[in-house]
Amino acid sequence: MKIYRVALREVARRRIRTLYTASGITVAVALLVATLTVGGAAHHDLQQTIARYGHSLTIFPATTHETSLQGFGIGSGHYIPQDLIPEIKRVYDAAIRAGWQQKGGLLLAEGAPGGLDIIEDPIIAPRLYEPAQVLDRDVIVAGVEASEEYKARFWWEIDDGALPAAADEFMAGKVLADVARLRPGQRLVINGHEVKLTGILRETDSPDDYMLFGALPTVQRIFDRPNKISLINIRAMCNYCPVGEAELWLNQQVVGVRATSQREIAQAQHRIFANVASVIGGFVAVSLAIACMAVFNMMMGTIHGRIREVGLLKVLGASRWQLLRLFMYEGIGIGLVGGALGAGLGIVIAQLIGPWLLPTAIIQVRLSHVGLALAAAVLTSVLATLYPAIHAGRIKPAQAFRAL
Amino acid sequence: MHDRMAILEDITKLYRIGGTEVCALDAVNLEVRQGDYIALIGPSGSGKSTLLNILGGVESPTTGRVTVDGERIERMSERQLLDVRRRKVAYIFQEARLLPSLTALENVMLPGAFSGARQAELRRRAQELLHRVGLGARMNHLMHQLSGGEAQRVCIARALVNRPRLVLADEPTGSLDHATRLQIVELLEALNREGQTVVMVTHDPELAARARRTVEIRNGRLEAA
Repeated sequence: MKIYRVALREVARRRIRTLYTASGITVAVALLVATLTVGGAAHHDLQQTIARYGHSLTIFPATTHETSLQGFGIGSGHYIPQDLIPEIKRVYDAAIRAGWQQKGGLLLAEGAPGGLDIIEDPIIAPRLYEPAQVLDRDVIVAGVEASEEYKARFWWEIDDGALPAAADEFMAGKVLADVARLRPGQRLVINGHEVKLTGILRETDSPDDYMLFGALPTVQRIFDRPNKISLINIRAMCNYCPVGEAELWLNQQVVGVRATSQREIAQAQHRIFANVASVIGGFVAVSLAIACMAVFNMMMGTIHGRIREVGLLKVLGASRWQLLRLFMYEGIGIGLVGGALGAGLGIVIAQLIGPWLLPTAIIQVRLSHVGLALAAAVLTSVLATLYPAIHAGRIKPAQAFRAL
Repeated sequence: MHDRMAILEDITKLYRIGGTEVCALDAVNLEVRQGDYIALIGPSGSGKSTLLNILGGVESPTTGRVTVDGERIERMSERQLLDVRRRKVAYIFQEARLLPSLTALENVMLPGAFSGARQAELRRRAQELLHRVGLGARMNHLMHQLSGGEAQRVCIARALVNRPRLVLADEPTGSLDHATRLQIVELLEALNREGQTVVMVTHDPELAARARRTVEIRNGRLEAA
């Protein structure tokens, strides 16, 4: 007969009291799990956003005031000369190397360990946007360099049909395809030129969903914009690439373009979310402290109510240490019950409010969060039980005997 | 092992209740021999239970000397007294006090668990004792599944699990009907015949008459020994 079994049997026997005592812990742990789960999903979502846009630069014509991804400077009549791309790449590479070294990165000769080849070449994806009437609808036609574009937008997937392969083949965004009822294989006329639609892009939740995509030279030819592009997307291929440095250098050294980075925006969002998470974390900590006090009161009351039992255990030979352990095991049991119920409730809350708060995020329960919540619950309960358990151990046998 | 199992010499016990000093025991001398079966009788408040508690090392006398199985216990520390209680003394109470969440077998094993007995040996001993008190078929029953007499028999088995030198029974049949009372007393008598020393507090003259010795306490003093 082990002492912990005696304690756990008692926890199981007094189910209602256990549940009542553990209820404060349950609520606090539910808050903790819900916060960690939804917060984790939001963090992951932001990381994805940073991964998509954060390590990239968008370069617009300097004369265009419109720099948002929604405006594109379409119809502004401003373009970047396509033959400026090598110069942009040269400045970008130099800025990345300089920034890398400023951050303390070691750069040796190409081919050596830690050499220049650890920085992969960026993906440079130019685009030309032109408005057009297709099937009596206003449509934006985007000319892209297919190989670079598919690498830069690695999240693109084909919903129906196939990627364009030939010069006169095009692909439509999902929303446009749905609205205009476009199907792969369909012939379209763009600015008087007949082209073939080969595929539909899966929905991306971005302006790409409303566009028609074709090869850059084809779009330049159709709209008579030789050597002209609307913007360039440069995607850095290293996680810690100093993209901000490249943005600065490009704006200073390349005439006629303006570079912008989305990383700062994403990071600012991340900071805001971290602050909100800290506030919620504070509430969780306060809840746990209140739960701790509730368990303390309950355990003190329980021990006073069970003084006859404490007396009996003393008479049967229980030492102070054994009584302390007995009540601490009960505390652990209550903590585990409260933690398990709280974890379950927290998961349910996260699944209910997560999709409402973060429609694009995947609400995923992590075992580590559940483990952390259980640990917090047990710690809270153990802290709350410590003094009552010590008090039980100090009850004099004679005092306990008089209660028998 | 000592022939004189317990010796109380000039035992006085004073309690202070409010501003008044109450004398529970007054110059009490008592010798309990190995194999004794003593009935302590006397009216309520006469000091019977106090005497029992002093014998068991649960309370200390105000003055006087207490020797249990050759060890002076009246000035022992709590830890030393705990050791004496574990090895030498066992209690049986008026009401069967069992932990309701444990089975009869587990309740019997409990004192052994506290004193660090080996599990397998402890279980075997507890099973033997339950068979001995006629509850071999009720080992896995919880307290609420046992009758009053059965629960008291579990308490007797529990008292014996650590092989105590002295069993102190405080009105062990007080809450039982006549037939069950006789069963319990016969069990205690049988244990005594096997050599177990028993000191029993009782109000029942019939049970007291069955003891080998009767000691009466009145107003904290022994009337006859």
